[in-house]
Amino acid sequence: MTAHRSTWAATFAVMLLLESTVANWWMLGMHGSSADLNPLSSHRDNCLKLNYLAERQQQLCGLSENVLTAISTGARLSIDECQHQFRNSRWNCSTFNNSGNVFGGVLSVHSRETAFIYAISAAGVAYAVTRACSRGELNECSCDSRVRVRKTKKKWQWGGCSEDIRFGEKFSRDFVDSKETGDSPGGLMNLHNNEAGRRSIRSRMERVCKCHGMSGSCSVRVCWRKLPPFRVLGEALAQAYEGATQVRLSDKRRRHTKSKRLRAVSREIKPPNRTDLVYLEESPDYCERNDTMGIPGTKGRVCNRTSPGLDGCRLLCCGRGHNTRMKEVEEKCQCKFVWCCKVQCQTCRVRGEEHTCK
Amino acid sequence: MQGTIVENLSGRKLSVLVALLLIAQVVCFLIGGLIAPTPSSAYNVLGSNCVDPGNNTQKWFYTRGEGSCKNRELTNYRDAESMLEMANRVVFVFQIPIPRENVILDYSRWQQNLIGVLQFDIAYHSENEMKPRTTITIDAKLGYRNKGDPDDAWKPYASSVEERSLDCVIDSKKSDYFYNCSIVPLFELGSLHHDYYLLNIRLPVDHFKHMNEGLGQLESIYLITINQNGGFTKVWVSLKTVFFPFIIGIMIWFWKRVHQLARPPALLEYMLIFLGGALTLLNAPLEYLTLYFDMPFMLLLGDIKQGIFYAALLSFWLVFAGEHMMVQEDNRHNHLRVYWKHLSAVGVGCLSLFIFDMCERGIQLRNPFYSIWVTDIGTNLALTFIILAGISAGVYFLFLSYMIWKVFQNISAKRSVLPGMSAVRRLHYEGVIYRFKFLMLATLLCAAMTVVGFILGQVAEGRWKWDESLEIEYTSAFFTGVYGMWNIYIFALLCLYAPSHKKWPVESESHSNSVSEEIEFSRLPTEPSEISSLASFARKAALD
Repeated sequence: MTAHRSTWAATFAVMLLLESTVANWWMLGMHGSSADLNPLSSHRDNCLKLNYLAERQQQLCGLSENVLTAISTGARLSIDECQHQFRNSRWNCSTFNNSGNVFGGVLSVHSRETAFIYAISAAGVAYAVTRACSRGELNECSCDSRVRVRKTKKKWQWGGCSEDIRFGEKFSRDFVDSKETGDSPGGLMNLHNNEAGRRSIRSRMERVCKCHGMSGSCSVRVCWRKLPPFRVLGEALAQAYEGATQVRLSDKRRRHTKSKRLRAVSREIKPPNRTDLVYLEESPDYCERNDTMGIPGTKGRVCNRTSPGLDGCRLLCCGRGHNTRMKEVEEKCQCKFVWCCKVQCQTCRVRGEEHTCK
Repeated sequence: MQGTIVENLSGRKLSVLVALLLIAQVVCFLIGGLIAPTPSSAYNVLGSNCVDPGNNTQKWFYTRGEGSCKNRELTNYRDAESMLEMANRVVFVFQIPIPRENVILDYSRWQQNLIGVLQFDIAYHSENEMKPRTTITIDAKLGYRNKGDPDDAWKPYASSVEERSLDCVIDSKKSDYFYNCSIVPLFELGSLHHDYYLLNIRLPVDHFKHMNEGLGQLESIYLITINQNGGFTKVWVSLKTVFFPFIIGIMIWFWKRVHQLARPPALLEYMLIFLGGALTLLNAPLEYLTLYFDMPFMLLLGDIKQGIFYAALLSFWLVFAGEHMMVQEDNRHNHLRVYWKHLSAVGVGCLSLFIFDMCERGIQLRNPFYSIWVTDIGTNLALTFIILAGISAGVYFLFLSYMIWKVFQNISAKRSVLPGMSAVRRLHYEGVIYRFKFLMLATLLCAAMTVVGFILGQVAEGRWKWDESLEIEYTSAFFTGVYGMWNIYIFALLCLYAPSHKKWPVESESHSNSVSEEIEFSRLPTEPSEISSLASFARKAALD
């Protein structure tokens, strides 16, 4: 624990040096990030000490411990999902535990990858908060706004408090977007991608209905919407990443108001709609190690010799070639598990080749 | 000579009455559309996974309040091979209702009933593929608590070990994708008497009984709770409270008028009173009692009341059509016995639905987790009764269509000789035919509107927007509209088919006019002559 503490202290020191603008809330998703919370002081004070959070984020965190847990879960979900989706790419969404910047310097370039990270993490927070709401862990969750009664209790008794992900979206907008401003092109891009991430949930919710009329007939029917698994959202956003649109800032003066908007770089490209991801700059080279950017490079990554895709040695190793070595590994095999936690596996010894990039 | 009011009412009065009833109908529709909320709402409650430290099945696990347990993600246990029997110790906890907007909500008795449905999120894993149909065993315990009770004072409401079948399919077999599983109906409570409810669910694994072995990697369980909305109940009950005295009043008025006559009441009049009675039963606002007493049988009672009403309405239509086409031996016409064939279709249909309902909701009174659909025998039994009811409905409509067709045939046959009648009588008969058809049309219109409204409601879900500020709650409007419509319909029937005290013009007594001789009533002078002249007219037509 003390070792942990000291690394955290170091982290904070580094972070302060790196200016608070780069400090980011993804820290909450890193393992052990809640270790620096002092159990003796109040939750609100603990949140104020999390100086990688923006002011508004600290306020929201201070609402309750469960809010913090939900945000952390959301951050964790999105980091895991990012690493899963990019496990075969040159950039594998690697994170750094020992610096304030979870994704290294990748975020400083307004690239496709940045777009994906923003989208998935805005979605992650909305998703986790929605789940926490339906678990009854958050008291703040909202009611159906369509019922025309002011007071919550009356509203619940009169027309019910059905809610899908509206609160999750709202919270995500409040929390994740609080750092961004619509003034700069980068801010506009992040806001756009955050929104695209959140919308990916809504459009993938599945409607389920049940009839409960007289004798169970369908004269009365009620429907609700079900959250998709997060993997589905990750996959959808990864596809959006592939088809992301490069944009530039166009500030047209319209009468008196100056409106800043993002437009596609050329007229031939389809203008992005609100569910598409957008980026401003081309991605940096992820092949070579770049310490200032925080890019680990693909050296030493395991690749697939036969695959023609991104995980194939040819593409992943950026033409540097690969090493092959024979390896014997013990693997769990023929696993059979009963739900929850009991896994019965046999151990098999597998001899295989392992290819790593030079 | 006397007839019913519909024949004697002047066109102006009739149109005023119809206009009033139409206004009432529109008001009913608007009350539902503008004031009432949706009839019911659903809540997704995600189960918290608590771990039973020992194996104490008696203990209640809850997630909010003093002494609550913390949710632990199941993924944390996945690799813990040492944790045998863990599955039997995981308790899925649902504490309802869940808080909103910083308010601890509680169920109101206006919310009437509660249905619980489970939804399983099961992730795909290549080592553990699920069969398309798996039988799962659910050990469920439902408890309740009221305001002012200590946080841990949960009292048992019902508990049961239930088997349900779970149909799961998956399109893309990738790990961490969820199966698309069917929803699992868990319980139905006919009353919502208490403030808070708590559901504890275990999915015990037993290798000897092969219990829950086929279950895949369960990520989470959602409980979807469906309750009627308090606002809807309030609007509904108010509607009933308003209709109740009106229908009783018109029934008393009707019965008084019938008794003022010299003859005993006719079958049609008995049927009308029966119909009014059935409607009164439906209108009785028993929901007020649920605010003070625990009445779990309200769902069943509601079904029965509605069943009786439908039976009365269907029988009435049969008799109504029959009374206007009876052939020859009219001394028999005034008895229900004549219609036994036709009515048995109604009887069989309603009885089979009643038995089905008793098997489902009747047993649910004892065990809210019971469902007839889970066992194969039960499903077959239920399907048998439902198909039987469907067949009777088909037979009934064949009978009814045949009879109506007969009536119209008689009328058109009679119409061809109308020009030969005296002017007064012809006008009168034309009026009678017109009004009969008018009422026929009204019935068809009511039925058609119900059906069309229902279909529209199914197609265009929920709410309709006419402009930004005006939102119509369509489903509620449909319910109040239809309910109001049948009330108004029966009100109109009782009004218009009450015996009239007006005297006919005496011209029919003068037999001197030989032109009208052939269509003169073949009524014996001694016979009481107060049955609907329309009916006698139709009977006469059949004789011709």
